[in-house]
Parts: sequence; C-alpha cells; structure tokens
Amino acid sequence: MAELKEIKRKLEEVERLIRAEIPWEPVGPTPMPEVPALRNWDMRLLKTYKPFYAPFCDLCCLCTYGKCDLTEGRRGACGIDIKAQQARLVLLACLIGCSCHTAHGAHILEYLIEKHGPDKKIDMGRMIEVEAPNIRTVLGLKPETLSDLKIAIEYVYKEITHLLDSIHTGQEGSYLDFESKALHISMLDHVGMEAADIAQIVGFGYPTSVAETPMVDMGWATVDKTKPMILVVGHNPATSAEIIDYLRANDLYDKVEVGGICCTALETTRYSDRAKVIGPLSRQLFFLRTGIADVIMTDEQCIRADMPIEASKTGAVLIATLDKAMYGLPDATEMATEEIIKQAVEEKKHFAILDPGKAAEVAVKVAMKIAPKRKKEWISEEEAKELAGRCTDCGMCERVCPNLFSIGDGITEIAKNNNFDLIREQFRRCIGCGKCEEECPREVPIFKIMQQAASKEHWKIRAGRGPIMDTEIRNVGAPITLGTIPGVVAFVGCSNYPDIEDIAEMVEEFAKRKYIVVLSGCAAMVAGMKNDADGKNVYEKYPPDFDAGGVVNVGSCVSNAHITGAAIKVVNIFAKLPLRGNYEVVADHTLNRLGACGVAWGAMSQKAASIGTGCNRLGIPVILGPHSAKYRRLYLSRKEEDDWRVMDARTKKIVDTGEPSPEHLVYVCETKEKAMVTIPKLCIRKNDTPQGRAIKLNHYISLYKKYMGGGLPEDLHLFVRRDADIPIVYKKEVRVYLKEIDWKPKEPVGLPTIIGTYPTKVSVDSVIQ
Amino acid sequence: MSATVPLHRVNVLTGIKSARQIEDPAEYGRLIKKAKRPLLVLGPLLIEWSLNGKPLLEYALEIAMGTNIPIPICATAHVKGRMSELGVKPASEYDVVEIINALKDPDWMGVKKEGNHDLVIFFGIRSDLGEQGLSVLKHFAPHLKTMTLCRFYFPNADYSLPNIRKDEQWKEFLETLIADLKGKE
Repeated sequence: MAELKEIKRKLEEVERLIRAEIPWEPVGPTPMPEVPALRNWDMRLLKTYKPFYAPFCDLCCLCTYGKCDLTEGRRGACGIDIKAQQARLVLLACLIGCSCHTAHGAHILEYLIEKHGPDKKIDMGRMIEVEAPNIRTVLGLKPETLSDLKIAIEYVYKEITHLLDSIHTGQEGSYLDFESKALHISMLDHVGMEAADIAQIVGFGYPTSVAETPMVDMGWATVDKTKPMILVVGHNPATSAEIIDYLRANDLYDKVEVGGICCTALETTRYSDRAKVIGPLSRQLFFLRTGIADVIMTDEQCIRADMPIEASKTGAVLIATLDKAMYGLPDATEMATEEIIKQAVEEKKHFAILDPGKAAEVAVKVAMKIAPKRKKEWISEEEAKELAGRCTDCGMCERVCPNLFSIGDGITEIAKNNNFDLIREQFRRCIGCGKCEEECPREVPIFKIMQQAASKEHWKIRAGRGPIMDTEIRNVGAPITLGTIPGVVAFVGCSNYPDIEDIAEMVEEFAKRKYIVVLSGCAAMVAGMKNDADGKNVYEKYPPDFDAGGVVNVGSCVSNAHITGAAIKVVNIFAKLPLRGNYEVVADHTLNRLGACGVAWGAMSQKAASIGTGCNRLGIPVILGPHSAKYRRLYLSRKEEDDWRVMDARTKKIVDTGEPSPEHLVYVCETKEKAMVTIPKLCIRKNDTPQGRAIKLNHYISLYKKYMGGGLPEDLHLFVRRDADIPIVYKKEVRVYLKEIDWKPKEPVGLPTIIGTYPTKVSVDSVIQ
Repeated sequence: MSATVPLHRVNVLTGIKSARQIEDPAEYGRLIKKAKRPLLVLGPLLIEWSLNGKPLLEYALEIAMGTNIPIPICATAHVKGRMSELGVKPASEYDVVEIINALKDPDWMGVKKEGNHDLVIFFGIRSDLGEQGLSVLKHFAPHLKTMTLCRFYFPNADYSLPNIRKDEQWKEFLETLIADLKGKE
C-alpha cells in the first residue's frame, strides 16, 4: 500500500514538472524514466548486441578487500566477476561523461539566467519548432524558458547520483544490469548536452535556424604573432564570450588575437567569426610549447592537468576560470583587478578567477602588457637539426607512445640526413600527449623540433550551426527512411586518431557518395585540416545543408545532442510519431528504419563513451578507432547466428529476417580502410525499399572493392532480400555469387519493429504512423 | 625475477596471469605442430612491415603453408587484398574483434567448419588492439591457446616472443620457425 502511494506521488511529481496538463502531445509511457522503465528495451538490445568485454585489467582495486584477482572465473571478495567488473567500469565512464556535459549545462545555465533572467524564452529560430527533441522524448517536457532547462538538468543530476550509488562495493552484480544503467545514463547525457547547447544558443545568440554559418580561420598559422594572443582551452564558453564582449566594448577587437583549442574554440567561433580555431585536442601541448599564447585560459574538460607548469615554461600567464580545475592556484575572484594584473605581469603568477567578466578583463590587459616582451619565433631548420643531434635513438620514446610509433626515428632522420619527411608524417599521427619528451633520457625537446614538421597551412572551418532545421528534416525524412539517401554518418569525438587525416578522407568519401555527413567536436576541426589539389577542404567543397552530399558542422561536444536530435526529429516530423515520454517507440524506429551511423574514430574520453552509448540506446550504431578497444566493452552481434527476428507491425507477425541490420551497436575497426567498408553496412536498415537497398549495397560493394582489394563482401548475401535489391552495376557479378552459394530470396518486412518481441507496455500499434 | 615489460607501455600488464615468453623457434614449432586446429590471424601491419626488403606478409604465408596441412588464415582489416595479389585466398575474412568474438564461443565451428580452433596465432595487429583482443581470449576462452609472432612481448597471450630490438634476430626466428615447420612435419 505504501509502495503504491509512493508510485502515485512520483507520478504526480513528474506530471507537475513536465506540465502534463498542457496537451501538446499525449504523455507517453515513460516520462522522466528511472532505471527500470526502459530496462526491458535494453535487455532486448543486449540480447542481439551482446556485450563483448576486453578487460584492461585482471583485477579489481576499488575497495580494501582487494586487490582481487578476477581471472579464470574467480570472483572478488564482494562476489563480483570479471564481466560485471568491466560493465561497472563502463558505467563509471558513462557517468563521468554525462556529469561533465550536465554540469557544464548547469554552470552555463546559471550564468545565463543571471544575465538574462529565468524567463528568457527559448527561441530556436523560425525554422525550428521541435526545439528540444531529446528533452521532449525523454522527459516529456517542452521547454519554453531557460528555467525549464533547469528541470532537465536537475532530473539528470538525480539520476547520476542514483547510478553512481550502484557502483559501490556490494551493490549491482549483473553485467547486463550495469549495461542497462550505462545505457540509461548515456541517454541522459544527450539530455544534459541538449539543455547546455540550447541555453548557449539562446543566451549567447549563437547561429540557429541557418545552414550557412560563417567560415572561420583555422590553424596555428592564422594567428598574427605580432599581436597579443589569448588562448582559450576546454569546453565552456562563458569566459571566452566575455573576452569577445570586452574587446568589442573597448575597441580592441583588431588588436588582440583570440584562438581556441578543443571545444571552447568551436564555441567561441559560434559567438564571433573573428575568433580562430587553433586545432583539436591533439595539438594542445604542441601549441602551448610554441609560446605564441600570452595568456592561457582554461575552463573545463580535456584541458591538461599540468597547465600551470606548461604555462610557466613559455612565460605565459594562466587563468583558470572554473572551479572544476583550479590547479591549486590562488582564487583571485575577489581580488582587485589591477592587483591581479600587476602580479601576473610582474611576477608571472597564475590565478583562478571564477568571475567570467573579471577573468576576461584581466586576460586582455595582461596579454597586452606581456606580449611585446615575448619571443614568438618558431625555431629554424638549423636549430631543429642541432637539437635533434642529441638523440641517440634509444627507443624509449617508442615505448611510451600511445600511438605506438618511434618519434626517435624521425628525430634521427633530421639529425643524420637533414630529412624532415618522416617527422612530418609522424606529426600527423602524433596525439600530442608529450610522453615521449618526458621519457627522453637526453631531454630532446621533441615538441620544439616538431615546429619544423608542423604544417604552416591554414584552413577554413564552418562555424557550428547547432540544430538541424525542421524544414531540412521534412525534405530528407522520406529519402533517409526509404534508403534513397544512403545514410547519415556522424563523425564525432576526440582526436586520438591513428592518423589525423583519416577523418578528412572519410568525410570526403561519404559526402561524394551523397551521404549526409554531420560533424562535431575535434572531428569537425580535423575534417577541415586537409586541402585537395585545388586548395579546398570539405567545408569549401560541399554544401552545409543537412541533405544528400552535405557536410554539416553542428558545433562542439554538447552539440552532439543535435545529431541524436535530428534522428528523433525524423521520427516526429517525417514518421509523425509522438515524442512525449515515448522513448522506446522513437528508439525502435531509429534502430529499424533510420540509416544512421556514428564514427568516433579518435574517441578518447569518458564523454565519448557516454555520447556513443547514448546513441546506442537510441538504436544508432557507432564505429570506434582501434585505440578504443581500451574502453573495455563493445556491443557485437554474431551475424550468422544471432536473433534477427522482428515484428511486422502491419501483420503483427514475427518474421525471421536473418538480416543483421544494423550488424553491431559498437564496433572497433582496425584500420581506416575497414571503417570505409563498415560505415555503409551499418547504414543498412530492414525498412529500406528495394531502390534504397540497391543504392546502399552499391556503396557497400564499391567501397569493398576499393579498400579491401576486390571481390565481393563475404556477407553480401545476408543483405540481399530480392533480386531488385542488387545494384544494377554489379547485377551480373552478384547474381553469379548468389547462385554459387544457393541464396534464396526473402520478402522484405512491411513495417519492421522489435516492439512486441519482448515484454513491454508499448503496443505494436504505437509504432504505426 | 622481475616481470617482462612489453615494448609498448600502454600494454603493461595489470594482472597476475601473463604470457610464457619463448625465444626458441623450435619450441614455437612444436606448439604449432601439436595443435589440432590452429588458426593464423593476420593483421594489416604485415602490409606495412618488412625485414630486409621482404614483406612480413610473405613470412606469414610461409608459416601458414609450412605445415603438412596448411594453417587456415583469417585476414583482418584490408589484408585480403594484398594476399590476393600474392595468389593466396584466406580461409576467412573477419576484422579482429569479429574473429575474437567468434573464437570465444567454444561451440563455434571455426573458419573451416570443423570445430573451434585450439591454437590461435596472431601476427601483424597493432599491439594495443592485439593486447586487448588477447585479453578477451585470456578471460573468456579457456578452450584455446593464443600465440603471437610480432616482435613485442604480449602479456595477455599464452605464448609470446620477447621484445626483439634487432631486425636480424626477428628474421632469424621467423626463418628458423619456417624451416622447422617445413622440415620436421
């Protein structure tokens, strides 16, 4: 009885928070879900896409019972086994990721509410009515003001606490339930990201309802070294926006350079197209050590933990602007501005300043005072050669390189043969961690020598545009669902690449083939860091529209919510299914009918883990680069053996399709070539029309021939339902192959869904438009 | 005695069960010949690497062809294309996580549909991905043994070469192994 009362109280509370009485859509079965609400959906996904664990460690070291050895079926002192331990760590990673984005959202919201008031209207422009697809779908709330976004943030905060609790020693013991929790919190990561970016768009006046955003400068060579230079690093734009405001207000805009690394760069260029993108995270240490920056301003996430040391090495002044990373610096928030400037200039002291306006003023004034005294020339070839001469090619640098190459070979080539070719190639593969230099027994300044290897090229990048417009969704909803636009490919995430040029090459390949290519974060930057023979990059060659052959930069990490948001909008605007508290139906539609695939080729962080896992719960498969096996867990199927049955929603009959589409939910590709072939395959959906399927298979086969050395893919027969699915160009060859293996045609499913194939409150009819 | 540290420090073992380091090619040969259903998994580094101008892939193929009954090959990534140029068709084509996913199932019938493999030899896979894959099999595939032929120590394998700094030493190991497999079957 008491339990029933509690359920009723919770329901009433949810109804109050989402204003259930406002009938913009009927409230679906799972508004503001807690963990159990979507557990059956997760278990159904995990039945086909089984967790594949690659333990990074044999032990559990989390409590004082341990260390516990978990090899050969052993359990820890608390009873946990190796699978549950891996899943537990995956959940922890996803919680860290979600908390980063959501806390970013909370901070920026607080800042913007103070600036504009809580009742500031959410207006995403005239082309966007579905303003918050993730929040609408998950919470059942249609946010109208900044303060409404707080409801979303507070809900995610509550769930983070609840799930972090489950990681404690002696709590959850099932790997499947840990995975369900990871899927849950990662779904909420997209809610947190969406709240953060909507707040930013509304509060900072970022571009919205527009495709053609400004082209901005990118690359270290775009910085005018004769001017004072402020480098902003991280993800949170509060302070960098204040810097721009200060420069504008004081007529200094032409006199000071503002450039960014990582997502703050993308955010700042959404605010001002005169700011510059220096580069992705992998170029952070390299740029710091050039000494070009006079003032370095950190905010949060993916900023180096040794920033004060690095700043001191070049004589730059560091200002930490958020309490998440204060580096043990004195908190000067309450100190007099002129006194901070004096100490920073005269004593090169670093400070934490948590008031964005004050931090901005200090940064500009300090940069202007110290810039004239700074030496800002890159080293010459002769100097590089001399420094390289110290190297004995002992190989220690290779031993510590996370990308597994020997920078020593490149250094030796310079010293012995005055040949910079190898180190130029190595610079493309360098992820910028600096471990080689730290390990070097001869203290060779590798990053300094790299200045000669680094390209002096500069590029343009299209400023992040935020959400995909409803009008665009209206145009492409049908061709995506039918398959005639062969897929939406989202390149996202960090810059832990096997080779930095991989992304540009993949973007080019798929844009050329008329896929819709979407980009965010560091991937959006490096996509533009390669010019063709005519000196143009992908942003200059392809239209910025969310349409076949378009290349769309949505923005920073938190803008990833607009990518899942676009998928959700297809379900709502094209398929006309309600979103409100209707997550299962929306995810089912995406899984079975929407040809989309994420590629986090350089995924490094916990945030990338939660972004990807959030896509997975929504039914979007994700490809990771080879380093990402270290995330410990993939979701893989065994295509020939797994359960590919679906319900045909029209006939209400279970159909065994035998078709592994999408084949995996998270998959690691060993090489770029393999990724080129896996992307088109993961865009295949059971809903494809014969015409759409033929287009998709055409790309699958032709990319296979191009990158895998000819022939036909071994699993091609699994994706050919009828003769009409075979692309015309390969008709003869494929027919011969199918005859050889005694292939039999099968009928396509009218309206594929997995609703109805597992216990759920959702009726099969609810997936029908 | 201190533990062997793998060449790439990202692969440092954080556990208690580590590979037996073998330097004698004859011992490798014995283990390979003893296996009833071995499998050779070939990765894309074999396309990049060479020893004295001879591509590593050629060494790998000689190992596969060296025994009386050739060892079936699983080509990962884009290795199949280069193998075709050398006139060899792999028994199967999986990417590395796919073949590992199949291998960890004791009931999988193997690439020749004759039953799961009892010895899986990895060659030419980048060491971090390889080490993670070997970890999967160490933990979840007690029904098989793993072996590596790259010049690095792989702690998560059952049998591994030590870290070999000199090309000549590695070349000698591989050539002796090939001769051994050919000669004493």
